[in-house]
Amino acid sequence: MKKFLSAVTLSVLALTIGGCGASSGASSDDASNFPEKSIEIIVPAAAGGGTDATARALANEAEDVFGQSIGVLNKTGGSGSVGMSEGANAKADGYKVTMVFVELTMFKHLGLSPLTYDQFKPIGMINFDPAALTVAADAPYDTLEEFIAYAKDHPGEVSVGNSGTGSIWHIAAASLEKAAGIKVNHVPHEGAAPAVTALVGGHIDAVTVSPAEVKTQLEAGNVKTLAVMADTRSDIIPDVPTFAEAGVEINPTGTWRGLTVPKDTPDDVVAKLEEGFMKAAEDEDFAEFMKTNGLGIELKSSEEFEAYMKQNEQDFGEIIGELGLN
Amino acid sequence: MDLLLEGLTGVFQLNVLLILLMGIIAGITIGSLPGLTATMGVALILPVTFGMEPVTGILLLIGVYFGAVYGGSITAILINTPGTPSSAATAIDGYAMSKKGLAHKALTVSTVSSAIGGILSVIVLIFIAPQLATFALKFSAPETFALAVFGISIISSIAGKSMVKGLIAGFIGLLIATIGIDPIGGFPRFTFDNVNLSSGINLIPVMIGLFAASEAFRAMGSIFSTRKLTIVVEKVKLKWIEFKILIGTILRSGAIGTFIGMIPGAGGDIAAFVAYNEAKRFSKNKDGFGKGEMKGVAAPEAANNGVTGGAMIPLLTLGIPGDAVTAVLLGALMVQGIQPGPMLFENNGPIVYTLFVGMLVANLMILIVGLFGIRLFTKILLVPTTVLTPIILVLCVVGAYSLGNNYFDVLVMLISGIAGYFLMRYGFPASPIILGIILGPLMESNFRRALVMSQGSFDIFITRPITVVLLILAVITLFSPLLTRKVKKPTTEGES
Repeated sequence: MKKFLSAVTLSVLALTIGGCGASSGASSDDASNFPEKSIEIIVPAAAGGGTDATARALANEAEDVFGQSIGVLNKTGGSGSVGMSEGANAKADGYKVTMVFVELTMFKHLGLSPLTYDQFKPIGMINFDPAALTVAADAPYDTLEEFIAYAKDHPGEVSVGNSGTGSIWHIAAASLEKAAGIKVNHVPHEGAAPAVTALVGGHIDAVTVSPAEVKTQLEAGNVKTLAVMADTRSDIIPDVPTFAEAGVEINPTGTWRGLTVPKDTPDDVVAKLEEGFMKAAEDEDFAEFMKTNGLGIELKSSEEFEAYMKQNEQDFGEIIGELGLN
Repeated sequence: MDLLLEGLTGVFQLNVLLILLMGIIAGITIGSLPGLTATMGVALILPVTFGMEPVTGILLLIGVYFGAVYGGSITAILINTPGTPSSAATAIDGYAMSKKGLAHKALTVSTVSSAIGGILSVIVLIFIAPQLATFALKFSAPETFALAVFGISIISSIAGKSMVKGLIAGFIGLLIATIGIDPIGGFPRFTFDNVNLSSGINLIPVMIGLFAASEAFRAMGSIFSTRKLTIVVEKVKLKWIEFKILIGTILRSGAIGTFIGMIPGAGGDIAAFVAYNEAKRFSKNKDGFGKGEMKGVAAPEAANNGVTGGAMIPLLTLGIPGDAVTAVLLGALMVQGIQPGPMLFENNGPIVYTLFVGMLVANLMILIVGLFGIRLFTKILLVPTTVLTPIILVLCVVGAYSLGNNYFDVLVMLISGIAGYFLMRYGFPASPIILGIILGPLMESNFRRALVMSQGSFDIFITRPITVVLLILAVITLFSPLLTRKVKKPTTEGES
């Protein structure tokens, strides 16, 4: 009972303190002293996933850079749109940073949420993991070219697993269809891991998920990856060619994560955040952490990130329209 | 055998044992608090393990995981508040036992069953994991759909006094499960342009509301009544002869848990309900279920702890995480430089066997901590209702909020609590609703995924042996209580 009571008391205390912290922060107009108090990163995903891991590891490094504590708050719901909406509508003083991910550029097209990238001011992109076409080890094709030829001979029969209808890996498979002029059977799963499991179990023919998500099975010899949808080869599987190398022109498609603040945040504050978080992301410990977790680091500055999100939103709009999901 | 001995020496070091014990205690605490799940506990403690030795770090997480699965039963039995969805089935008979003053005994049964179920599953993991893993891979969409149908059929045996009301409750659950983006077509259903509804109604706030908040509302109604309703906690111990009656149920349920645990996508919540149903099917005293039958506590608890070892089977032998907890564990293993998969046993043999021994010890620790803790746990019931009820309500709010730091979940919890109060008042059972919410999405998405895979042909459901067996079992389960009820009707009518 004591344990129970103390747990209750603690939770109530934590809530109260959290509540006060959010409301009482006096802001200063002078950015030269930024940050004067602790920063909070809103993670619109549950604890334990890749987004959460990236945010926590980065926060850990950035604390040293900023000399302030950085809290991570998981706020789930609506495929991430709940947490992101809160981040977009937060006080524009730079103390509430939101970790956004690729879905932000898809919400509007999928009819999930009116939220778009231009409601934020980007700090920078941190991570990118491309889609990779992975098939069963005993499949009758060994290269992307052979796969495409096989799919052309068997239109609509090759089943390609993704992590959910309208997910980035579904979009990736659709881009593959478009670029290669083939027709496949999209099989949605509840996440990438179940899709990979179905591939290993021989229930589907291919998956278009990230290299990290197939790495274990690749090393076990259960699957083979034919090509990666990126401009450069993946560090995790350096032997696998890119789509361009394998002879198919395709836009780099994959999942990414980056940091943003509300749109009206002063530019000098954003500049400070950009400088600090980029420095943190270049830290060796962070690189090591990302590597062991199979997460790729790709840094983009505030400007580049904005242009990138804009491009993504356009591209995805077309593909989602063609898939009839809007 | 040598490797097992090596594992023994690896685990029986003071610091390793202490860390494991800490994990178990932390896990039990997390598990017993509604809203804090095993996954959340493991994910939050994960960063702490980065600086540790591989074995110590992983065993800490395993301690939290195993402890949390057991811990959920404590609050389920004492205050009808399942700490985790895995203990939803335990609340049915566990709380009924508490109301009869048998809380002490119910907790003993749950502790002993949890430990035995867990140990059984680890033994299976040690000796036949690779063979079972190959079988688990055979589970694709049609098989999982059939398993979900089988699970749904259990509604008929947890319906309580009125079959019709039980079925209505089950359908309410299934209806709630349809809210959100449709899993295959991506079309929003009943979302009313509210982003919070787009990913569906979360099970846990509904469960907290239906079980805990509704019970608190009910207690409020009688708080100021002059008639004092104090629950007597009799220290009735579990007798050896009673244990002998239970052991069959415990072993069967542990095996069911292990089996369901290794199937990707199915976890402790489903296993507990299936085991409960099987315990009732095999029991001679079917009418005792729902009214405080010991087997109704033993079965779900042995099963949900059996899931722990079962879930490790595909994780360790194939590198495939079957649920959210094992996905976090996979990350933890990889950070420590341990790559799960077919090569694991060759590359990291000593570590693997140390983990195996650690898992056995973890289950023994649950037994010891649990049995010693019962006296402490039952003190909750000595707290006057006037104090306990507000605390439970606060816990409900905190629990629902802490899930995703989203107020919407608190709202869902409160609405479920109010709805649950009225449902309870008019004799509708809560557990079929929970079962419907758990299994509805599993059933729908796998049914439709199977049809996508078969390009629309229904043959996929009748040409695969596992699917057919499970579907036949479902039909039998659905209709057998109806039939036995028909036969027995003249005798049971008098008592209800």
